Amino acid sequence: MDFQALYAHLQAQGAAGLGGCDEPRAKDPEDKQDKGRAGDPFVLVAVEQLPAFLQLCRDDEALGFEVLIDLSAVDPAAEDEDLWLVIQLLSLRHRHRLMIKSMVPKATPCAPTVAPVYRAAQWHERECAEMFGITFEGHSDPRHILLPEDWVGYPLRKDYVFPKEYRGVSCE
Amino acid sequence: MNNGNIFLDLLVRFAPEGTPSWLLDLSAAGVGVGILVAMVSVIAMFCVWMERKVAGHIQCRYGPMYVGGWHGWAQSIADGVKLLLKEDMIPIGADRPLFVLAPALVLGSIFAALAALPLAPGVFFADIDLGLFFILAMSSMTTIGVVMAGWASASKWTVYGAMREAAQVVAYEIPLGISLMVPLIVAGTFNLNEASALQSGWYGMHWYIFQNPFVLPAFALFFISALAETKRAPFDLPEAESELVAGFMTEYSGIRWSFFFMEEYAAMFLMSVVAAVFFLGGFESPFTSLARDVFGEQHFLASLTAGLVLLVKAFGGIFLMMWLRWTLPRVRIDQVMTMGYKYLTPLALLCVLGASIFEALWLGVA
Amino acid sequence: MLDVKTQDLEVNMGPQHPATHGVMRVLVRTDGELVTGAQPHLGYLHRAAEKIGENVEWLQYLPYTDRYDYLAAMNNNLGYSLAVEALMDIEIPRRAQMIRVICAELNRIASHLVAYGTYGLDIGAFTPFLYAFREREWILMLFEKICGARLTYSYIRIGGVFNDAPPGWLDEIGHFCDVFEDKWREYVDLLMMNKIFVERTAKVGVISKEMALDFGLTGPMLRGSGVDFDLRRDCPYMIYDEIWQAGAYEIPVGTGEQGVLGDSWDRFYVRVQEMLESLKIVRWCLANIEEGPTIGELPKTLKVPAGEAYVGIENPRGELGHYVVSDGGKVAVRCRVRGPSFVNLAVLEDLLPNTLLADTVAIIGSTDIVVGETDR
Repeated sequence: MDFQALYAHLQAQGAAGLGGCDEPRAKDPEDKQDKGRAGDPFVLVAVEQLPAFLQLCRDDEALGFEVLIDLSAVDPAAEDEDLWLVIQLLSLRHRHRLMIKSMVPKATPCAPTVAPVYRAAQWHERECAEMFGITFEGHSDPRHILLPEDWVGYPLRKDYVFPKEYRGVSCE
Repeated sequence: MNNGNIFLDLLVRFAPEGTPSWLLDLSAAGVGVGILVAMVSVIAMFCVWMERKVAGHIQCRYGPMYVGGWHGWAQSIADGVKLLLKEDMIPIGADRPLFVLAPALVLGSIFAALAALPLAPGVFFADIDLGLFFILAMSSMTTIGVVMAGWASASKWTVYGAMREAAQVVAYEIPLGISLMVPLIVAGTFNLNEASALQSGWYGMHWYIFQNPFVLPAFALFFISALAETKRAPFDLPEAESELVAGFMTEYSGIRWSFFFMEEYAAMFLMSVVAAVFFLGGFESPFTSLARDVFGEQHFLASLTAGLVLLVKAFGGIFLMMWLRWTLPRVRIDQVMTMGYKYLTPLALLCVLGASIFEALWLGVA
Repeated sequence: MLDVKTQDLEVNMGPQHPATHGVMRVLVRTDGELVTGAQPHLGYLHRAAEKIGENVEWLQYLPYTDRYDYLAAMNNNLGYSLAVEALMDIEIPRRAQMIRVICAELNRIASHLVAYGTYGLDIGAFTPFLYAFREREWILMLFEKICGARLTYSYIRIGGVFNDAPPGWLDEIGHFCDVFEDKWREYVDLLMMNKIFVERTAKVGVISKEMALDFGLTGPMLRGSGVDFDLRRDCPYMIYDEIWQAGAYEIPVGTGEQGVLGDSWDRFYVRVQEMLESLKIVRWCLANIEEGPTIGELPKTLKVPAGEAYVGIENPRGELGHYVVSDGGKVAVRCRVRGPSFVNLAVLEDLLPNTLLADTVAIIGSTDIVVGETDR
């Protein structure tokens, strides 16, 4: 299925939390500010509904997304109010992909864990949590994974300030 | 040579009149030990060089090529000097006395075992009636040293290595001993000199493996058990470098580590000589019998030929062990145990039974 | 009876241990030789590649891609280039695509040779390692001729490849292909079909199909479990679809012929077979390559249109995904790297308990991780 068909199917199934989609478009020649949008389309999903949405994606025969390929976040800009939680799904049966985006407000960076649906998400969520400071509620193993346990700050946030020293070792 | 020690004979011949006999005995022992240590060290060093050359050529490379000029012959000497000069390190948590004692015990027991080996017909350090028994007992002693080293190092990896060594040696002593019983049944003696001498005849091809059809399978069993006993691949579990870092010798360095290394090669030599004596004709070969015919039974050159033949056979065995090491992967501990207890031991017992029946029928003993 | 108190032994396998293939640590809980629990600890090689991606220009980031899976740098270059190209409107010349495929597949062979050799080492066979490195050396020499580097190539660029192949280079690859095919049989006989090797790896570390999907495994780990899926065929990028249509290669899948489907042997089998398939792809490219330019039209300062794209390619270890977000500037907003080793490693937590210590090594080896990629 291509993206339009996937989106139509998701709508027909009444997928939980489905909040629209975004597709690449050409630059508007009239509007000087408009940059257009290149790349891949994605669907927007309300963050609280993610587990239910992914459950549908996995179990629906026509969607058939067996594999969660990637889960990560994006901090679009320091002044932005939301982080994006981005999930890539892949269906081996139907050979199609789906990009899912959820907005996680920086004020309350919380998301439900999707590891019960896709076990693959567990380590991705750990990485995401330490890099962006998103709390995954219900996560079974909320330790740091790449950073030391005592690391302060969330390095992949745009407002992250590089530390001057770590455990007495100067970083300058 | 009546008192069974050539050094004592020589000393008695050249010592001034009236020297007390205990001094003679002591001096003879000292000379013997000195020669033994020197000989074993040279053999071990040669084996190290040989191993590196064999490994190199198996792996499409040359191995050592520079030190000493010709094919890196002095590499082992250079390594030995380097190891001697290295800092002597003992981990803080280690049990110091045991840590220091372990390599000495390992090397000492293997030297003791080697003392029972014949060098040429009638030339030996110690002519022991229960020679084979003594060798097996002494070579088992090394296990105690290894376990000691593993425990004293106060490291988890070394404990694993030590436990594996203990389990493995216990499992393989049994088939090793039983498979050696087969040629013993044919030979009827534990003495290595006599066992070798009994194989003369048939133009030097009257070897035990040809005397009784059950000796050949027993030889295969013995060889496999000997590999496990000497911790050689595919049974190198106690040091399993990809699993246990370096097993029981992880914490050792410098000259103490080289003791373990020397022990490994000395043990290989020991097992190869035992195999040669009890299965592959010992000193006997067509060359030996030819040399005897040409030079006469007691001639120096006949003895030299016999000694060389044994050496060649021993190094043939060592080469086979090296060949296997650089070809085969390592087996797992449960597979080692299964193989030892479930297959080798019953097969060895079968060989003993078969050899006994064959021997009884052949010799007409009833 | 003596009252002996026993307890489990906790051993740190790593960070410096020969079996962890780099600086990774597995905290192993053992009862004698039996492993009762295992906990991988990563991060010793974390170099903040994703953060660097947000601070350097698009083209400047390319050398950093070399460094996550340093055994397959060409594939990393390719993955990143494709992701950036997905945002740009750019035509990749056909010759550049051919050379990209040749380099990526040769690099796959080189990477699988390391996997082959080091897995032999893990199991205790030393010699296959040197045989594998003999051929790998040849591939590295070929790469050196085309781009001057042996490990970190930065050769496949956004828009094409850095330069054209030097004269005679393609013929040399043809020669390599002929020789390699003979050597490949040696590998199979020497290690893969060795009785002890089979005993050590068959029925060890079995990953069922369901488990593989749940953990998101990709690449040989997935195919070893009997799932017939390869991004080159099923989500084709560049000219792989054309090569597949031409029938030039097949996708090897684990069969469970030596033990259980999805065991360590199957994963190893898939890797070894893939070397031969990669060779076929290289041969097809050599037969069909034409003269032409090797890099597309690029502006002096590379500005990538605003948008976001995810591109996953078949790396030797699985799906290497690049998720790039651009706001139209010279620098990426986000440069997410989905390393296959990172995902494949997660399976250890479930796979290691109730195996023997030696199996632990065999299982870690069969996941064929590159720590540079797990930690990035």
